[in-house]
Amino acid sequence: MKRRNFIKSMMAVSAVAVTPVALMAKEEAKAKKKGPNDLTVEAAITAITGGKEVKKSDKIKLTVPEIAENGAVVPVKIEVDHPMEEANYVKAIHVLNTKNGNARCVDVMLTPANGKGYFATRVKLSSTQEVVALVELSDGTFIKAGKSVKVTIGGCG
Amino acid sequence: MAEARKSMIKIKPKKYKTGDIVKVDFIVIHPMDTGLIKDKKTGEIKPAHYIDNITFSFDGKPFTTMKVWETVSTNPYFSVNFKVPGKGKITVDYTDNTGEKNSKSKKLKPKD
Amino acid sequence: MKRVIFPIALLLTLATAGEQFAMSDADRAMYKEMLENNPADIYVEEGGELLEENLGGEEALAKFLGVSEKELPKTIAGFPRYVKKLGNVVGLDQVLQAMQIEQGKEKTKLKSGKMFSMLAYVKSLANDEQFTIDINADEHIKASYDLGKKTFETARGGRGLSCLSCHSKDIVGMVLRTQPLPDLGEAGAGATWPAYRMTKSSLRTLQRRFQGCMKNALLKVIPIGSKEMVGLEVYVSTLAQEKKKAIAIPGLKR
Repeated sequence: MKRRNFIKSMMAVSAVAVTPVALMAKEEAKAKKKGPNDLTVEAAITAITGGKEVKKSDKIKLTVPEIAENGAVVPVKIEVDHPMEEANYVKAIHVLNTKNGNARCVDVMLTPANGKGYFATRVKLSSTQEVVALVELSDGTFIKAGKSVKVTIGGCG
Repeated sequence: MAEARKSMIKIKPKKYKTGDIVKVDFIVIHPMDTGLIKDKKTGEIKPAHYIDNITFSFDGKPFTTMKVWETVSTNPYFSVNFKVPGKGKITVDYTDNTGEKNSKSKKLKPKD
Repeated sequence: MKRVIFPIALLLTLATAGEQFAMSDADRAMYKEMLENNPADIYVEEGGELLEENLGGEEALAKFLGVSEKELPKTIAGFPRYVKKLGNVVGLDQVLQAMQIEQGKEKTKLKSGKMFSMLAYVKSLANDEQFTIDINADEHIKASYDLGKKTFETARGGRGLSCLSCHSKDIVGMVLRTQPLPDLGEAGAGATWPAYRMTKSSLRTLQRRFQGCMKNALLKVIPIGSKEMVGLEVYVSTLAQEKKKAIAIPGLKR
């Protein structure tokens, strides 16, 4: 097969096939449909903290992939280096995103019975954006950490 | 056994003692539809259908609650830690935005 | 076989693009961890229940294949294979269908969620085993392998593409639509399907994946269970066998 024809064929394949992820992102972008739960990350953080100051903290180990194989299933793992004792524990872990219509993913309310300030899940990301872990400690203070995830739209089939 | 929804609870590691902190993994088959996507076959928007609340309990006592949003992946996975108090049963109760209620349990058998 | 020859400059460009999209070690570790909590595990469990209720479980399967339950995993690791009773080289799903016919039960369609679940369960019984496909065992499996390889290499469809166009040794590593093209043997494709497909949020089988691939490449889709598809599965499984990839079901794919 001649090289020119090969490249032409490859580009034709790329142009014709559209993946569900691409479809999802394209539709969501075009529609700009407001979901009933739509909320910006700033509004979400204010709603959760009541406007309190939130400092970045490296007590929070936030693990997300650098590049998400697929934007519909992005693994997120959060570990907080903080005791889990009756009078001093990680009270809540809020998983947020910065570019989906709804910035909220999961609000996890923990208790000392958990033993560790840990939570993991998988979220949908509509495009390249940050995943934010907003953590509430039992003394009422809030800390946070954020990491960017590249969402590639492509792939075959 | 006709369960309304299929789900699984996994405890890791497989062998543990009272006082150990184990990982409690919960996976459930659920569409987690956002209400923004069209059904490819019908062209109609698929209504929002997602799990919105989960409670993890041990012998009836809740130890973790979650508020879940439609931004979580389809067939979602949730993982937390739990300090084993002894023999007993972990129950995961979950509801979705249509009001559907479901429950899954798993026995904790520490090898003391 | 038509060969594709790229000039060095183009090769270098494509190689760099490949690095940009190649998975980092940290990411690879994260995705590997996801395998431990694969939604497909639920479908595999369901497949086991269906097999038990509908056909009598592993006991009945072993009996049908004329082996002991202890030999079952290694026998399963030899599929697709020639089953004398059926006079054909078949996949495990076709064996299950044959069992249904033998027991006077309703046939489950090969291209159905129920069959994918049962197939995944049965194949998972051979987890950690190496493939035991012997393409020289008899004339039938040899013919199936040859047909599979030929189908893999035959250019067809509107764009004149074959499986080889994207999956030949010369193309491995190059990027197509942000995905580095894999060496099917190294990637252990034959050993890790059926798998959970994240883009489809469901359990899919190898032949079903071939169909998706064909659709994308504008090749006419070949039916699941046909001689060509079974041959393709034999061929792709031997690629994993050559690279000593142990069976690990269910897999997890994009």
